[in-house]
Amino acid sequence: MQTIVQTVARTLAEEMQRDERVVVMGEDVGKRGGVFLATEGLFDKFGPDRVMDTPLSEAAIIGAAVGMAVHGLRPVAEIQFADYVFPGFDQLVSQAAKLRYRSGGTFNAPMVVRMPAGGGVKGGHHHSQNPETHFVHTPGLKVVYPSTPSDTKGLLKTAIRDEDPVVFMEPKRLYRAIKEEVPDDPDFTVPLGKAKIRQTGDDLVLISYGGSMAETAKAAEELAKQQISAEVIDLRSLMPWDKETVLERVARLGRVVLVSESPYTLNFMSEVSACICEEILDSLLAPPLRVTGFDTPYPYAQDREYLPGPNRILRAVQKVLEY
Amino acid sequence: MIADKQNFSPFNEEPISLISQAGEWTAPFACDLKDEQLKTMYQQMLAARLMDERFIKLQRSGKMSFVAPHSGHEAAQIAAAHAVRVGTDWLFPYYRDYGMTYALGEPLIEIFAQVTGSRLDTAKARQMPMHPSSKELNIFTGASAIASHIPPAVGAAISMKIRETGQVVLTSFGDGATSEGDFHAAINYAGAQGAPVVFLCENNRLAISVDFNKQTGAENIAIKAKAYGMPGYLVDGMDVLACYYVLQECVENARAGLGPSLVEAQVQRFGAHSSADDDSIYRSKEELEQMRQRDPLLRMRRFLENQGLWSERDENLFKKEILGEFQAIIDTLAEAEKVPLEWMFDDVYAEMLPHIAEQKKDFLG
Ligand SMILES: Cc1ncc(C[n+]2csc(CCOP(=O)(O)OP(=O)(O)O)c2C)c(N)n1
Repeated sequence: MQTIVQTVARTLAEEMQRDERVVVMGEDVGKRGGVFLATEGLFDKFGPDRVMDTPLSEAAIIGAAVGMAVHGLRPVAEIQFADYVFPGFDQLVSQAAKLRYRSGGTFNAPMVVRMPAGGGVKGGHHHSQNPETHFVHTPGLKVVYPSTPSDTKGLLKTAIRDEDPVVFMEPKRLYRAIKEEVPDDPDFTVPLGKAKIRQTGDDLVLISYGGSMAETAKAAEELAKQQISAEVIDLRSLMPWDKETVLERVARLGRVVLVSESPYTLNFMSEVSACICEEILDSLLAPPLRVTGFDTPYPYAQDREYLPGPNRILRAVQKVLEY
Repeated sequence: MIADKQNFSPFNEEPISLISQAGEWTAPFACDLKDEQLKTMYQQMLAARLMDERFIKLQRSGKMSFVAPHSGHEAAQIAAAHAVRVGTDWLFPYYRDYGMTYALGEPLIEIFAQVTGSRLDTAKARQMPMHPSSKELNIFTGASAIASHIPPAVGAAISMKIRETGQVVLTSFGDGATSEGDFHAAINYAGAQGAPVVFLCENNRLAISVDFNKQTGAENIAIKAKAYGMPGYLVDGMDVLACYYVLQECVENARAGLGPSLVEAQVQRFGAHSSADDDSIYRSKEELEQMRQRDPLLRMRRFLENQGLWSERDENLFKKEILGEFQAIIDTLAEAEKVPLEWMFDDVYAEMLPHIAEQKKDFLG
């Protein structure tokens, strides 16, 4: 049994063992083992050349990772909080994302940028954000956001082995909230772009990913008590995302509620909703509803209320069922 | 190193220090501060230390979600507050600077309201603890994103220059912050503009766990000033009077149109990085013991005692008084109402946009 954060550390260790080109870099990832302990034990095992404490500069971290990747390493860079990707955003968007395209496919950057994201930890606007829309909106980046220890292992391995830059978002409020048995196989991988049906159901579909999966699962439990059977889908990967599974499952039941804690406007679920409406409108029995964070900076005092919690999800479900 | 008062030479190799560990005045010029001000400086250092201890207790009892202790930084912070013209000059501090903002006159009730996320917080409990903000005192509202406040500090200074207001900006940050692009972009611009700004690096040689020598290949931060076209001073950050005299000279030079400067105060971080950190993973007890021998409070206290300005009795009386003040404030805050839910939606824009109004209405039902 292991938590998400333990799984990150163990998976990194396995991948570093397997492939000596894999290096870990970031602020406090060395002796400290990362501020969340996501790199615990790596420094002792692999030493300072493969587990590098960097200067406090996200531009240096992401930009240098591009250079290392181009030159033959497989860097896994940690951004201490997703909120701090912005000083390194230029490197991510201008360099990493466009490298393959602008070189006509002659250069590429196989690198992973890991970052704990999401609210519910009393962190205010600079320790709670979910910036996935920025990444998804940047062609050239792949984006992953698991919600369980096993998926963390499988997706992190796939991301490290991928030939393109992958932004690997980690749901920090679930870092230690869930424990599960994780497959031992050092080659256990989960493909990017494949959703996971967490629970099948007959009345409506709930779709979510990352930290919001916890509230979505809670809402599904509540619904079960009311004899409403919800199907629960975890997207896991946002770029690419599993449109096929989503369209098929939503078409089957005709009702869907989309849950994600980043702000409402241009929330990733806006894209999912648009695709559903464009492609399977005839199968819908109600308009897809989004339950999201608000279009405000992430608050401090109302840390929990900002999140799309079970009550808000249930209200949307009711609307969709009664439509 | 020091020609005479108000005339320190930049790019010094040994940090400027004016009082010895034993509390003796060692400078070649006379200390011209009034007894009252010297006492106030020490009292503020002591209050800042006690505030830190109180914060940690509040955090442990669940009344604060987070603390970044400033113990060991008091001399630099209190000196900075005395070097500027309060209410005229502008401050752009960072999250470890509550000692500084307290000494600037930020009322304790405001400080405690901020760190406990109270309804009485002037910033409406929008920020994590350790984010000072005061419109009245020209203290720019804090931001957790390291170094992101330094370019705005320079912008304010350029505005002061263009508008000939005679004001000065003082901005402070840690050694880790000097690795961020924002720091370099800002200090470069300040140098090019000759903007009236003083950069104060509170160098505790740690950024959470990362050692100073991983942050830069340079021997210190002060020498970086050279490349930006301004003087850089290395100061013993555990010596409040050294910090004061150097900062004061830099502030007045900036006011006189002589441009910006960079001051590196070599301080120590006595506590963990924050309440979320465990520093035993990366430094030893012995290291800490050694640091504490150089406690800035001890040095200033000895200095005052040598002058007959302070006694054990004064110490005890002052402690009692300030702890009483803390308690009264904590009691007041305990009675404050909860932060209203609807505050979440305000202040995104000057006027609430329709879609946010809709979300608010929907949320509040
Ligand atoms: C842009 C950014 N990256 C990372 C962090 C996380 N973080 C918070 S404090 C800190 C270390 C800061 O060290 P330093 O600037 O030396 O100041 P000190 O805390 O030592 O006073 C880090 C990495 C952050 N707040 N902002």
